[in-house]
Amino acid sequence: MRKHRSKIFIIVASVAISLWFLYPTYQDHQTQNTLKGLSGLDSLQYIEENEASIRQDRLDRIKLGLDLQGGMRVVLEVDVLKLIEDLAKNKDDAFQEIIKEVRSGTQTTEEQPVKLLRRAFENREMRMSRYYGNLRDDNNEITAFLDDESTKAIDRAMEIVRNRVDQYGVSEPSIQKLGGTRIIVELPGVSKEEEVRQLLQGTALLEFKLLKEPDVVYRVMESIDKLLAAENPVDTTVAPADTTELSAEEFARQHPFFSVAIINPQAFPGEAIVDEENREKVRRILEREDVQRLIPNDMQFLWSAKSRFANEGKTYFTLYPVLRKAELTGGVVINARATIDPNYNQPIVTMEMSSQGARDWARITGANIEKRIAIILDNAVFSAPVVRNKIIGGNSQIEGMENLDEARLLEIVLKAGALPAPVEIVEQRSVGPSLGEDSIMAGMVSSIVATLITMAFMALYYRTGGIVANVALLFCLLFIMGVLAAFHGTLTLPGIAGVILTLAIAVDANVLVYERIREEVELGKTLRAAVEAGYNRAWTAIIDSNLTTFITGIILYQFGSGPIQGFALTLMIGIIASMLSAYWFTKWFFGILTDRKTTAISFG
Amino acid sequence: MRFFKKTSFKFMEIRNTLYVISGAVITAGLISLFVKGLDYGIDFLGGTELIVQFQNEVAIGDVRDVLNRVGIGDAEVKTFGSNRDILIRTIEQGKGTTVSERIRAGLSEQFAGNPFTVLKEDAIGPKIGAELRLDALYAIIFSLIAILLYIAFRFQFVYGLGAIAALAHDVLLTLGVLSIFNGVIPNLNLEINQNTVAAFLTLIGLSVNDTVVIFDRIRENKKNFRTMGLIELINKSINETLSRTIITMGTIVLVLAVLFIFGGEVNRGFAFTLLIGISTGTYSSIYIASAIVVEWSERFGKKAVKA
Repeated sequence: MRKHRSKIFIIVASVAISLWFLYPTYQDHQTQNTLKGLSGLDSLQYIEENEASIRQDRLDRIKLGLDLQGGMRVVLEVDVLKLIEDLAKNKDDAFQEIIKEVRSGTQTTEEQPVKLLRRAFENREMRMSRYYGNLRDDNNEITAFLDDESTKAIDRAMEIVRNRVDQYGVSEPSIQKLGGTRIIVELPGVSKEEEVRQLLQGTALLEFKLLKEPDVVYRVMESIDKLLAAENPVDTTVAPADTTELSAEEFARQHPFFSVAIINPQAFPGEAIVDEENREKVRRILEREDVQRLIPNDMQFLWSAKSRFANEGKTYFTLYPVLRKAELTGGVVINARATIDPNYNQPIVTMEMSSQGARDWARITGANIEKRIAIILDNAVFSAPVVRNKIIGGNSQIEGMENLDEARLLEIVLKAGALPAPVEIVEQRSVGPSLGEDSIMAGMVSSIVATLITMAFMALYYRTGGIVANVALLFCLLFIMGVLAAFHGTLTLPGIAGVILTLAIAVDANVLVYERIREEVELGKTLRAAVEAGYNRAWTAIIDSNLTTFITGIILYQFGSGPIQGFALTLMIGIIASMLSAYWFTKWFFGILTDRKTTAISFG
Repeated sequence: MRFFKKTSFKFMEIRNTLYVISGAVITAGLISLFVKGLDYGIDFLGGTELIVQFQNEVAIGDVRDVLNRVGIGDAEVKTFGSNRDILIRTIEQGKGTTVSERIRAGLSEQFAGNPFTVLKEDAIGPKIGAELRLDALYAIIFSLIAILLYIAFRFQFVYGLGAIAALAHDVLLTLGVLSIFNGVIPNLNLEINQNTVAAFLTLIGLSVNDTVVIFDRIRENKKNFRTMGLIELINKSINETLSRTIITMGTIVLVLAVLFIFGGEVNRGFAFTLLIGISTGTYSSIYIASAIVVEWSERFGKKAVKA
């Protein structure tokens, strides 16, 4: 047995690893079943109690594609040409004609609008500097400038879309850049098409709002806290001890609001921080009607757009109390730029306003010195700087960013109001949840039936060999799923088709070997020699045929899109898994078996 | 259990007859391709596709009336699985308010007492459609080239050529059959979409799989029987691998049949395409791929074919 120890170890280890990766998927499934059996309130409580583990399982499970669980997939294209048009200093007839030509060009070719624009100018022997940059700039400089602006516009569009999707509250959205000018948005479980279309395509709203006075805010929060505390039954067994030394649980019971919306003494007065895990809870509290009545009409609570890391590896969102009425809206911002302040070596953002905006800005800043103004995009707060002095002339400087990335994000946000990056929906797919369920059922049933029929045939036709092949087939399935889970892959309908086909390939490997073994036995070899010869001689056929299929898989993955890629991915994983289980595992298994007693083996 | 004892069919001797049959089927397919064409899905054309499920059965004619009324007269309407499920497809592009909204508004007005739910809705812009079409074409062409190179490297150039010819045969024949059968069998949608492309690539993969197994045996026998004539050698190799060919292909056909029956509406076209493809793939491994090696050696001398 000793010489086989490493082989047995590899088999056991790979099965164990696959099971380990698949465990969250199983757990997630169990949780969903438990939740189905619970009523609304109980299930909420269940979620709150097990939040951390549920969240982790969700993250690590095999995700289902939109075709299997229902949802929407939208591909947005940023209208770069519109941006180029907006950037021009003047738009005379000659320019309009060029834009028209370029627009028709973008419909028919794949070329970047900036390139087409440049060619249009060069064909007319016109200088681009007539419309862009400085008069002395040559076409190269202007092309570089426009390219840079297009890239920024796409980043801006990404940020706007991400921000809105976050606000919309979809679980597990996916937002990715595709090629140069496209953004893919996937929203599982969403079927309200019109809402989503408006959400993604509407113009971004940038607002500047003052923060509410901290003492008022604190009184409001206190009354919310009292309202919630009154709902908790008073614990009569414990005598009211001195309030300075409350245990964590006792504090949570007596102050249900302040235990989740924490007042940080080191932060600005008036704002509260909320642990990411408690965000939904606080959101629900603030939406309650009786809580809403406690909040003055002129103020509202808004969330920070991004969370921040704090100690103990936790991330916190900030809850800002702002005035409902906006002081200014984003149309007044002409430009914004993130740089490093050379004097202090700190990241800063400079902001430039139109003349009308600058007049308002001077009045607003003058009246609110040492107060804070929140910069808000689509109802999410990105920054809330303190006004240091009256700003005349419209050029402001915002400091206090932790790093340059944060400054760049603010630049993107400030520009979103002024230079919108118009997006157009070029592809939209949605699958209703019922088709998703039907597809899952159909996929499951056909996979199971196909596997069972194949296994029954193999066991009947090849006897011991068939049973070993069947076990290998189950391992193969386990490995494919395990690898998919390990890489956080997504299972789609074409993906299932890919799995079924690799199972067929796995069976083929065994058939090739077993037919060969039968031939060798007929030539008069001993079983042990025949098994060895069978595996060795079948190897070249297996490796050559699997490699060609694998190559097809790579090409499919490279050139295919969406559903085809899902198919190619499972196909490639499956080929490797099937080589491992159908060829190597069974070979080792027979190696071990023929060492001990050959009489137990039959290939039919 | 054994389905086959040692067989010794003379496969290569009847190849000329089978060329004629293959040629006839492909020609019929090509004629159908030119006359009837293929049913491209909106993946490749751009447009809007909507599948709705009504509570009760509806008449296709009534749905068509609604579409005429909302100004989408050129739309295609057919049942999808059952008479309650209706597929509507149009190449119409929507700006502002979408085509699907117009359709849905019209449907809820017409069938007020028979509510429907949207099972699936796709809207593809014309540019995306063109790109997907190109991507699919590239994927097929590049995989053919990769296969040619791999087999030429592992065997010999003429074998690569044989494999590619067999694949071209399979793809052409299957396309032709799809064109011929499209719309003939009720409740079987054979539109060409991204899933069809996946089916074609799978059939390329499996067909070449089969060809490689036979080539591998030829390569092996060539070493052991140096004096044997090429036709005899190829016949011997095909016979020796015949049992495996039938069993593997039988299993795959079985799996596909299950997918065809239970796999749901979405997978049915996929399974049908593969069923045709796999059958021709098995046949072409013998009568196209191997036969071309024979033809080549008869034209350019046996020395040219060594393997």
